[in-house]
Amino acid sequence: MRMFLAIVVCKLLRFIGKLVGKGSSLPGQYALKVCPDVLGRVKLPPYIIAVTGSNGKTSTVEMIAAILRAAGKDVVYNAEGSNQIEGVATLILSRSSLTGKMAGDVLLLESDERYAKFSFRYFHPTHFVITNLYRDQLTRNGHPEWVFESILPAIHPDTTLVLNADDPLVSRFAQGHDPEKVKWFGLERCSISTDTPRGVYDDGQRCPVCRGRMVYSCYHYHHIGHYRCESCGYCRHDPDFAVTELDLKAGRLVIGGGTEIRLSFRSIYNVYNILSAWSVCSLAGVEKAVMASVINDYILKNGRMVRFALGAHHGVLLTSKHENSVAYDTNLDYICATEKPCTVIILVDAISRKYFTGETSWLWDIDFDRLSCPQVEKVVLCGKYVNDLALRFDYTSVAPEKIVCYDTAAQAAQALQAAGEEDLYVLTCFSDRDKLLSLTKRED
Amino acid sequence: MELTLLHLYPDAMSLYGEYANLSVLRRHLEALGVAVRLEKVTCEDVPDFTRADLVYMGAGTEGAQKAVLLGLTRQAAALRAALDRGCLVLFTGNAMETLGRSITDARGQTWGALGLADFTTVETDKRSPGDVIALSTLWEAPAVGFMNKCSTTSGVTTPLFASLPLGFGNEAEHGSEGYADGSILATHLTGPVLVKNPAFTDLIIRRLFFAKGWPLPQQLPVLPHEGEAYAVTLRELQARLK
Repeated sequence: MRMFLAIVVCKLLRFIGKLVGKGSSLPGQYALKVCPDVLGRVKLPPYIIAVTGSNGKTSTVEMIAAILRAAGKDVVYNAEGSNQIEGVATLILSRSSLTGKMAGDVLLLESDERYAKFSFRYFHPTHFVITNLYRDQLTRNGHPEWVFESILPAIHPDTTLVLNADDPLVSRFAQGHDPEKVKWFGLERCSISTDTPRGVYDDGQRCPVCRGRMVYSCYHYHHIGHYRCESCGYCRHDPDFAVTELDLKAGRLVIGGGTEIRLSFRSIYNVYNILSAWSVCSLAGVEKAVMASVINDYILKNGRMVRFALGAHHGVLLTSKHENSVAYDTNLDYICATEKPCTVIILVDAISRKYFTGETSWLWDIDFDRLSCPQVEKVVLCGKYVNDLALRFDYTSVAPEKIVCYDTAAQAAQALQAAGEEDLYVLTCFSDRDKLLSLTKRED
Repeated sequence: MELTLLHLYPDAMSLYGEYANLSVLRRHLEALGVAVRLEKVTCEDVPDFTRADLVYMGAGTEGAQKAVLLGLTRQAAALRAALDRGCLVLFTGNAMETLGRSITDARGQTWGALGLADFTTVETDKRSPGDVIALSTLWEAPAVGFMNKCSTTSGVTTPLFASLPLGFGNEAEHGSEGYADGSILATHLTGPVLVKNPAFTDLIIRRLFFAKGWPLPQQLPVLPHEGEAYAVTLRELQARLK
């Protein structure tokens, strides 16, 4: 009876919410008050796929949904990004019958790392994809090992883990889990691999199990690569699903030695997103040809890359997750792959859109030295924290004469609009991107 | 004039860009004509404190902190000897906790620490990250920064900061924070504390010069952007108090 009431409450509030354009968490929140264990009572679809990790959750979930739909499956997923238990409850109950049976073949959930244990208290995923764990919003998350400990209680013994073999911390989730229920994905040594770590810091130096020294036979980016602990032997697993060839410059990768994929977005992130989506969709029984047809030239619709015009300039705005040095480094790589002369604009104004902080330590974790290349002719720094940025750049190899500072995005845009026609690349986070984009003409 | 700065365990204890503390300190010292030798001690190395003028350690994960503690406690006597001859010790973030008598982790296990200070730390499974404004006992300008800890520290009688208008102190909201006694300076503030607080950097420089018996210059170096960055952060944090 309580389940029935909870479903009714959820459906009703969802209906009213849609009419007035309100958010997606509230109906679930009230439904959970009516029946706290309602998610354990509802009959869920045969496949429940969850995706968590520091980076790539939204993109991977979108890609998984596209593939599964192309395979003819009815996929229900939290496209609105409500990835905590209330949002999950809204999603499930609003798609359930009054007798408590949820519609759909697959329930697909983007899951917040720290809240997964609450979402999966009364039900658990059949497949749990964990993409990566690294320094991400540390003002909120503490540190990657703290996040690891937060995810751990969300893992049920019956769940099949789909893990990034190249991430030593993510791979630890397999410890104590039935090996038959762990599937690995990874990138084999390829054109982007390096023998030494790149970046300001190296979180792959110490073994996450015994704290001994780790050695890498190759790095793909940051601490993602092929590792082995000298002390306890903890090491990368051979992947069940692997990218066996990768040419980012040409926008081409090969999965499993046989299936070639063209990349519309030539970023290492995209490679791992594709691979993790491929892995879990394979496990859900989708044929290779169907997956390849969807992934080929797949264009993400998440607005993280926006083309614009400003005066005589054409530009690309690359959105990084805030306080996430790996995301910034990846976007710096993208910029540096260009061969034409360009100006790079870096905007740090509000550090987060969700909460206040004046914390700028993460700027010291970004490898701005990558901008020390001939095609980057000018670096424009702007926003409230322009002095923190300028101070950070004093400790890079970027020539001081290339750096120009403005207090606001508007001042920077005005100066750029008035002169020059070189390509522009904007590097900023979600909270600040519209401050600059609103002053430009969109070209997408 | 030459100084040796020892960076302890940067391979395990540098979680929030702490390396920048030594980069900035080095640049300030070089602006004063000091030749700076920066030595990194990894977890496999045995630190040589005999030549060190400053020993620095930053924040790590709770697990990393316990791992370095095992090696570090074996060096307690050597570190004490270095302190006795005037070597400065600056520990930030949860490195501060290693200076005390013990650390009890969230599972209830107690780890012996260096015993250079008479305080104890207890970790919890709750984290209380937050911005900080701190009033120092040793310099005038309010310090700004961020704390990212899951512990309380008890028994400090000589704190570095008398009170925190914003933030959680050693064991209470707005309470005193850090530790300062003789040549030991410690705070749970994380990350590039010296980058954010030029006045703190100046204090370290004065202490280093004093320990060497060098005459203190009339004017300490003022490097670009540092004062402006500090002023903006302080303004933004003070606005949170209203």
